[in-house]
Amino acid sequence: MQGRWLDRVLLMALLIVCTIWLVVPFGMAILWSLVDPSEPWTADRLLPPAMSFYRWTDMWENSSLKQALTTSYLLAPLAALTSLTLAMPTAYALGRINFRGRELAKLAVLLPLVVPGFVTAIFFTALLFQLGLHHFRFAAILFAHAVLALPYSIRILTVSFEQVRQDHIDAARDLGAGWLARFRVAFLPALRPGIFASLLIVFIQSIEEFAIAFVVGSPDIVTIPTLLFSALGQDYVRPNAAVLSLILVVPNVMLMLILERLLRSANPTLASGKVL
Amino acid sequence: MTSRPWFVVPLLLAPGLGLILLLIGSVVYIAIAQSFGGFNITGTTEGYSLAFWQDTLDRRVYWRAVRYSLQVGVVSALLSVALAYPLALWLRKPFPGAAFIGAILKAPLLVHGLVAAFLYVNVIAYHGIFNQFMQAIGIWAEPRRLQNDPGAIGVYILQAWKNMPFALLLLTGSVQSISDDVLDAARDLGARAWARFWRVVLPLTTSGLQAAAVIIFIGALADFSFQVIAGPTNRMSMSQLMVFFKDRGDWHEAAVVGVTLMILAIAGAAVLTAFLQLLGRRRWRG
Amino acid sequence: MNLVQNRVIRFLILSLATLTIGSAALAQSLDGMTWDEIVAQAKVEGEVTWYVWYLQDDLRRAVQAFEDEYGIDVIIPEGTNAGNADKLFAEASRAVGDIDVFAWGFDSFANVDLGTLFQPLSMLPADDGRVSEITGIDGGDYALAFWGNQSGIVYDPESVDAANLPQTPEEFASFWQANPGKFGFNYENGGSGPSFYQNVLRIFSGLDFSDGSDAAERIAALESGFDFFNEYADLYVITGSNADNIIRVSDRELWLAPAWEDHLAGLQKRGEVRSDLAFYIPEMGMNGGGNGVAMPQNAPRPAAAAVFIDWLTSAETQTMFNRDFGTAPMHAEADDSFALVPMSQRAFQQAWAAQPFQGAMIEAFIDNVILER
Repeated sequence: MQGRWLDRVLLMALLIVCTIWLVVPFGMAILWSLVDPSEPWTADRLLPPAMSFYRWTDMWENSSLKQALTTSYLLAPLAALTSLTLAMPTAYALGRINFRGRELAKLAVLLPLVVPGFVTAIFFTALLFQLGLHHFRFAAILFAHAVLALPYSIRILTVSFEQVRQDHIDAARDLGAGWLARFRVAFLPALRPGIFASLLIVFIQSIEEFAIAFVVGSPDIVTIPTLLFSALGQDYVRPNAAVLSLILVVPNVMLMLILERLLRSANPTLASGKVL
Repeated sequence: MTSRPWFVVPLLLAPGLGLILLLIGSVVYIAIAQSFGGFNITGTTEGYSLAFWQDTLDRRVYWRAVRYSLQVGVVSALLSVALAYPLALWLRKPFPGAAFIGAILKAPLLVHGLVAAFLYVNVIAYHGIFNQFMQAIGIWAEPRRLQNDPGAIGVYILQAWKNMPFALLLLTGSVQSISDDVLDAARDLGARAWARFWRVVLPLTTSGLQAAAVIIFIGALADFSFQVIAGPTNRMSMSQLMVFFKDRGDWHEAAVVGVTLMILAIAGAAVLTAFLQLLGRRRWRG
Repeated sequence: MNLVQNRVIRFLILSLATLTIGSAALAQSLDGMTWDEIVAQAKVEGEVTWYVWYLQDDLRRAVQAFEDEYGIDVIIPEGTNAGNADKLFAEASRAVGDIDVFAWGFDSFANVDLGTLFQPLSMLPADDGRVSEITGIDGGDYALAFWGNQSGIVYDPESVDAANLPQTPEEFASFWQANPGKFGFNYENGGSGPSFYQNVLRIFSGLDFSDGSDAAERIAALESGFDFFNEYADLYVITGSNADNIIRVSDRELWLAPAWEDHLAGLQKRGEVRSDLAFYIPEMGMNGGGNGVAMPQNAPRPAAAAVFIDWLTSAETQTMFNRDFGTAPMHAEADDSFALVPMSQRAFQQAWAAQPFQGAMIEAFIDNVILER
């Protein structure tokens, strides 16, 4: 009885928090996207004085938008998959093999995260130019995004690999399962949440990354962050930025739900029964 | 455990760590060289010297930026993780609506940080919705200037809003791997909820906790846009200082601040990892 | 250090060296070509990429005249000021880059070594009307101004009477005391706030700002200005950027704030801020500014770039910019009757302080005023 009451209180509290957490920011973004240029929406009004879909049609007709959407939504999933692939072997080593210097390696993996912004924007891209990768702009940006997101994918997958149960692996081997079957039965259940998290995070990192995509891609390749930063920079057109963010949110939410369904980030202990 | 040939571990590390060290290592080397004058993006090199380091370390603004950035980094990391833990535990066992709640909590991941900052500033604007609400229910007599508040509350709120879902994502996986038996046994032995958390949950989820806290710490340490849009105007963050030097053409000083950022990030990450490891191993006395 | 380490370091240094030296060879050299030959070459090249960070949509419309006249396509990519600059630096080591014409604030040109990044514009036909030096910053052979603007104070006519606008530092202090918290300015992310506080410092110190020496006694002379700002620190607000100033006046939080005239006009036209906001230049003076264009060393289509720069800085185009954007035209023979600010107030235009004094002054201001709040 006590538990049910507690759950209800928590649910209520969460609903209130969610309103502040989500409804307010997203609601405001929706209202911002509907502001008509004839009259600005100053902070003291609850609703925009003049509303219309002008911003939406205007942004949609902007020739760069469709290209940016296509490019970003092609780039981000590929970067996520690439990063995942590159990270798997290293995460396996860090998660399951106790070698000398492992803690140091786990720290060294974070190097891309600690590199300051302008160093990435100027020196890393200059390195990419030096390596001649800019002849294949899309591939260069893809590669750069995958490498820069490696800290996320490696660390996330490491945590997952650490949770794989040795007795499962042993049992599978003892039962004569081949390498692939062992992987599917023993590793995959524990890895699923990690794979899901890794794909999601790298996807988001890639779709938000501005500096490299701009320096290497411009003028041929336009991504969403380029348009977003343009709108929030000097020219400061908040309604346009709101439209862009909302255009981004819907596909992102759908992708996240699909991913979650596909990987069914289920409770790994469901596969393990009740034995510790 | 079967013995492995010596080359297996390096081979496994090559595509991940190897690429990182090769590419990013070169870039880091260039940045360090720039800070010592051994390299200059604008062409003219004066040769290695400690002058830029000495000069920058002499500046008051540098040390204040170091302190401020460290504070923001640590508080953001601990705050995000502290908020995420209870939620991860609550969502551990599937119940109706858990997936929906999980999705709602993860939604801020999908909103670009820059956009979030501008929305926040709009909500707390002088005549904005929050001020109007507080006046309407009678708590405040007149509007209060909340933008760029000196306590950096705005930055912490934005960091927590953006990073808590990430911590939740990592901790959910960790927490779900804890078997019910262990928690049941602990409860049967008389451990209250808090003790169950400290002695059972925390030690078993240390790895996920470390990964989340460290990554959030590094990101918050190097924060630029939240600070510039919503942060206190009487403080500069390290990234802000770095961009300040760079825009003036003081590339060497900018590199010094950049290298400092890198050192602080790695050192801070190591300290945070060790601290959380200790926390996970603490023996509860009495 | 053993031999292997030595070799590795040498290899790394060589690769770094190539980044510094950049490229000595141009995509195509325009040396020795007559202007007609350059124009013909430009038409063969067929397009020119112009990196500019603001009003890209409006500028795409404005360059239509160039496209019609020469048949050369003008590509204006989306971008930001910082992003464009990062691209410029990152590309410096490439033999052939992406940028044909690069637009930048004149104060930003002053912070780099122009000869390393850009080519001299000596191939352009002689035209004395062109402007390569504005408000104390000299672009030399490399940068030409195409856009002139002026900083001043934006005000809310609903709250401030046009007859009572503060004109001198003392009058600003009176305004602050009468209306605490209604004035704000930025110290970074834009030049409008710096234009304001640097002119206040100029008046209090009595120094000659065209002298670039950053000797200790000159910085010490700024003390009286710092004291002025610190005395009234609680009565004004420090904002985040150029745009923040204007937005907060439009939102009715502030009544006065520094701003750039063209930035304000642009935001009003776009419906981002209230159209009734007004602008003036105080008698104490505020700085003029301008943006210029230059051609990177590794421009892929130098002939088209040259022809475009020639068109952009011509008297006709400058008159058109004045008419369509309200800018101060950057050609001696252009017509400026559509300027947003009346000529009478333009007399209050000041030049930016010379370097390295300006840099030292900014640092001292941050140390003594901003960080002390």
